[in-house]
Amino acid sequence: MTNSEEPGGGAVPPSRGRIAERLLPGGEEPDPRFTLANERTFLAWIRTSLALLAGGIAIEAFTADLFLVPVRKGLAVVLLLLGMLLSAGSAVRWLRVERSMRHRAPLPLPLIVPLLAAAGALAAAVVLVFILWR
Amino acid sequence: MLALVTVSAIFLRWLPQHGLPILLLFAVSASAAAAIYFSQRGRYSASSRGISEESVDADISAVLWTAFAGMLLGGLGVGIVLAG
Repeated sequence: MTNSEEPGGGAVPPSRGRIAERLLPGGEEPDPRFTLANERTFLAWIRTSLALLAGGIAIEAFTADLFLVPVRKGLAVVLLLLGMLLSAGSAVRWLRVERSMRHRAPLPLPLIVPLLAAAGALAAAVVLVFILWR
Repeated sequence: MLALVTVSAIFLRWLPQHGLPILLLFAVSASAAAAIYFSQRGRYSASSRGISEESVDADISAVLWTAFAGMLLGGLGVGIVLAG
């Protein structure tokens, strides 16, 4: 007999912990492969976020002779803030997807995708303008 | 974990440009990588067991800690860039 069975034969759902009960209330456990796939997607976003963080520091450190100080600092801060936002956004997205799967609801749209695309395009445009302008 | 190790090594590369504060970023990313390394065997076992039993508990605390580490690195990075 496992912990999830009563002596009478009825199944008792195992305790999921306080944080899980609070952040992922109700519903039923989805297919474990979907849960693990959601975690892998979260980790992919985190890798992107780490790349942005490293890129932000790199711009500040290595482009002193290319950009004016305000532009350099601005670009670095934009990339770092984007990395932070992506870290938080990936956790929120993981949570929303997990909730949807528990309730067998349609998956939410990834709001961080247009945000990342817009910010990336803006940073690229600023770099392009300054390289052509020099 | 490997991405965090790589990023921590890259942070060290910028020590001459940014000075000692960059060691904070190195410490955070290296600590996060170490935490993942030392806990990955347990998480891998839980995932394997979950697949065979067809029920995996979502690892909320790991997700939240990883996201927090990313935000902390970003916040420290902004502070270092603005202070430099």
